[in-house]
Amino acid sequence: MSMIEVVDLTKKFGDFTANDKISLSVEEQEIKCIVGENGAGKSTLMNMLYGLLQPTSGKILIRGKEVQMNSPIDAIANGIGMVHQHFKLVPSLTVYENILLGVEIKKGKSPFVDSKTEIEKVQKLIDEYHFELNPLDKIEDISVGGRQRVEILKMLYRNVDILILDEPTAVLTPQEVDDLMVSLKNMKKQGKTIIVITHKLREVMELSDSITVIKQGKVIGHVKTKDTNESELAQMMVGRNVVLTVNNERKEPIADEVIYEVKDLSTINDYGKEVVSEISFKVHKGEILGVAGVEGNGQSELVKLMTGLMESTKGTVTFLGKDVTNDWPAQLRKSGVGIIPEDRYAQGLCGDMNISENCIAGYHGSPDVCKRGIFDQKAIRAKRDKYIEEFDIRIGDLNGNVSSLSGGNAQKIIVARELSAGPKLLIACQPTRGVDIGSIEFIHKQILKFRDEGNAVILVSSELSEILSLSDNMIVMYKGKISGRVCQDEVTTASIGLLMAGIQPGEKGAAHE
Amino acid sequence: MNKKGNILRNIINSVLPILLAFIIGGIVIACIGENPLETYWILLKKSFLSSTGFMNTLHYASPLILTGLAIAVTFKANLYNMGVEGQMLLGGFFAGIAGAYITGMNPLVHKVICFAVGILCGMAFALIPALLKAKCKVNEMVVTLMLNYAMAKALEYLSTGVFRDLSSGYVATPTIQESAMFSRFGRSRLTMFFVIAIIVLIIMYIVMKKSKLGYELTAIGKNPEFAEAAGMNVAKKTIILMLISGALAGLAGSGYMMSEQFKYTLSFSGTPGLGWDGMLIALLGGHSPGGILIAAIFYAALKTGSDNINMYTSVPKEIVALIQGLIILFLAVKFISERTNFSFRKKSAKKREEAA
Repeated sequence: MSMIEVVDLTKKFGDFTANDKISLSVEEQEIKCIVGENGAGKSTLMNMLYGLLQPTSGKILIRGKEVQMNSPIDAIANGIGMVHQHFKLVPSLTVYENILLGVEIKKGKSPFVDSKTEIEKVQKLIDEYHFELNPLDKIEDISVGGRQRVEILKMLYRNVDILILDEPTAVLTPQEVDDLMVSLKNMKKQGKTIIVITHKLREVMELSDSITVIKQGKVIGHVKTKDTNESELAQMMVGRNVVLTVNNERKEPIADEVIYEVKDLSTINDYGKEVVSEISFKVHKGEILGVAGVEGNGQSELVKLMTGLMESTKGTVTFLGKDVTNDWPAQLRKSGVGIIPEDRYAQGLCGDMNISENCIAGYHGSPDVCKRGIFDQKAIRAKRDKYIEEFDIRIGDLNGNVSSLSGGNAQKIIVARELSAGPKLLIACQPTRGVDIGSIEFIHKQILKFRDEGNAVILVSSELSEILSLSDNMIVMYKGKISGRVCQDEVTTASIGLLMAGIQPGEKGAAHE
Repeated sequence: MNKKGNILRNIINSVLPILLAFIIGGIVIACIGENPLETYWILLKKSFLSSTGFMNTLHYASPLILTGLAIAVTFKANLYNMGVEGQMLLGGFFAGIAGAYITGMNPLVHKVICFAVGILCGMAFALIPALLKAKCKVNEMVVTLMLNYAMAKALEYLSTGVFRDLSSGYVATPTIQESAMFSRFGRSRLTMFFVIAIIVLIIMYIVMKKSKLGYELTAIGKNPEFAEAAGMNVAKKTIILMLISGALAGLAGSGYMMSEQFKYTLSFSGTPGLGWDGMLIALLGGHSPGGILIAAIFYAALKTGSDNINMYTSVPKEIVALIQGLIILFLAVKFISERTNFSFRKKSAKKREEAA
C-alpha cells in the first residue's frame, strides 16, 4: 500500500489552474523527487500536502485513508512534515529551543520549561540520525546546512513519517549538499518516507528512487530513477507537446557580418554568487541564435545583462561595432536593439495602463509620438491601430487596460512594439510562454520574417522545441556557463538534452551509473 | 465599463464622507438649539450665492489648489511628499523677506522676484528628501514629514529674531512693500493670484495627462520594474518630481504671502496649515486636477462661510472645523474600495471553510 497517495488533485487560483488533476503515489521508505521548472506547480502541490493550501478538488490519502488537512497542525498530526526553502527559525534561540518551540516540556505542572530534559531529548535525536549539531548552539552561530538539519529535526521530533523538502539544496554549498544526501538516505533506512522538490537533475539521479515530472500544473510522467537518465528528464521538463508548424527554411546563408558580440560576460547576483560566468558568443546578420537550458542556469541574468537591467562584473558587449556594455535600456533601444523581456507583466507591459500607452513604452520619447515633451495623441492612436491591424491583436475594449487582454494578445503588443521600431537585433526571452497556440505560431513567423530581412535574433527559451525549430545556431547554458554550442543541422533532442544536464557528449556513460 | 465604475467609485468615495460630515454636523447644530438647515443655507449663500462671497471663496481656494496639486503629483508616482507644509512655509517666508527688503521696484518685476524666491526655496527644501530617496533609498514619507517641524521651528527663530519687525506688537516679519502686494478685485479679496493658480493647474493637467513626463510618472507609480525596463531613469524622475512638488508648494506660499498675509506671522498658514489642507484636498479630489479644483473651492467655501455663520447665527464658527475634521475622518474610511470585492471573497472563503 502507498504511504501517501494523491488522486486527481486540482488547485485553482481564480481562473488560473496551478495544479490540474495531479495523481501520484509514494511508497513507504521511498525517496520521491518531484521535478519541474519554476512555476510548474510543485510548491502548490506540496503546500496542499502540508495543509497550507486546500485543494479545489481531489483527494489526499495517507496509508489508504482519505484525510482533510486545514493547517500544518493537521498535517503533522497525520505524520507529514515539511522543511521549507526559507527556514522558519528564531536566530537568537538555541538549537534545542527552536526544535521544541511550541511543544515545550514543562516541569511537572508548573509553567516553567524543563531545559534539562529538553536538551537530553534533542541530543538523543541528534545521535539517532547521526547529525552534526550541538543542541546548545545558537541558530545565528551555525551554518546554513546546520540550520537545515535543525528544521529536519524539528519535524522528526514531532514524529512525522513523511518528510517533504522544498528545494533543499538551493541554499547549500556542494559539501553540505553531499552531507544532506547522506542524511536523507540514512533517514530512509530508518523508515521515513521522503519527498524532495527540486529542479537539479544531478541530485535527483543520485538521491531518488522514483521521479514525477510536473509541467504547467500537470503530471508529465512517473519514472523509476534506475530506468531513466538526466537528459531524458531534461526533455520531459521542457518539452512541449505542441506540434510546431512554422517552416524554418532559410533563403540565404548566414552572412559573415557580426551584428552582436558578447565577450567573457560575467556577473554576480545579490547574494554575491556568480550566476553568469565568462559567456562569449557572436550573432551574425540573418542568424537566430538560440540560448537553451533548463531554467535557472543563468539565462534570465544573461538577458538582464544584455538588456541593461543588470550590471556586468566583467566582459564586453559590442553591437554594430559599438561598445554597448552596461548601456541603459533606453540607449539600447535607440541604437537598434528590440527587447522582448522575460516577464511580460513585470518588465514588458504595465497592466494598469491602457493599450495605446503600452504601445509606445520604451519608445515614448521618439519624435513621431512626442514633440517637445508633449504627446501627439493622434499619432499614438494611429500607431496602436496599426499594430492591432498588422499583428492581428484581438482587443475587446480599445481604451481598456492591458491587464484585460489574454496572454497571447498582450505578448503580441510587445512583439509589435519592438519589431515596428525597426531594430537590427531582437533579444527575445521566453517570447511564447503562456501564450495560446495560434499566437505562438504567429510570433514564431514574425521572428523568422525579421531574421529573413537581414537582422539578428537572440532567442532565449526554456522550450526546447521552440529553440530547435527556430534557431540556426544554439548555445546551451548550464550553471551560468556555456556547456555546449551546436548548429541546427547536427543537433538532436537527445544531444541537446545531455548538454542541458551539463554532460559533455564524451562523458555520456557517467550519467547512467 | 471598468473605467466608468472607477469614476463612479471615486465620486461616491468623495461625496459620501462630505454628506455624512454635514449630517453629523447638523445633529450637533440641532443640539445647540439652532436650525441646521438655516445655518447651512447661510454657509451656502455667503460663500457661493453672493458675488463678493464667491470671489472670496475663490481667493481662499488659490493656495489650496497649489498645495493640493503639489501632493497629488507625487501620489501619482507612488511617492509621498508630506513636506508640502514646510516647503510652502519656507517659500512664503522668503517671498515675504524679498517683498519687504527689496524696495523701489516695478510692481510686476517685484512680484516675479518674490515668486522666484519662493519657488526656489520650496524646491531647495524638497531636494533634501529627494536626494536621500534617490541616492540612499531613504523613505521620503518619514523625512518630509519630520522636516515640516524642523522648518516651522527654524522659521519661528528667524521671525522672532533675525527678521523681526520691532514696530509690530507681535512676532512678525516686516510687511511687504506695496509693489509686492496683489491688488484686490472690487470689494472682494480676490486677486490675480487666483488666475495664476488656475494657469498652473491647467499646465499641470497637461503635464500629467499629455506629456512624456506625466506618462513616465504614471508608469513609475504603477509598475517601477516595467518603467525601468522601458528605459526610464527612476531615480532621476524621483528627483524631478519632488522638485516640481516643492516648486508648487513654494508658489502657494509666496502667493499666499503676497495676496493675503503680507507678512510672516507664527500663524501664517493657519491651523491646520495650507499644506495639510492640501493633502485633504488631493484626497477629496481623487488626485486629479479637476477634482482638486472642485475640492479646493469647496474647502475654501467652508472657510468663507464659517465667518458668516458666526455673524448671522449663534452657532460658533468652530462648527466648520468640526465638519472638516469629520470629513477627514470619513475620508480615511474608503467606503467603496478597490478591495471591496476582495474582502467579500475572503469572507465567503472563510464561511466555506467553517462549513467544511
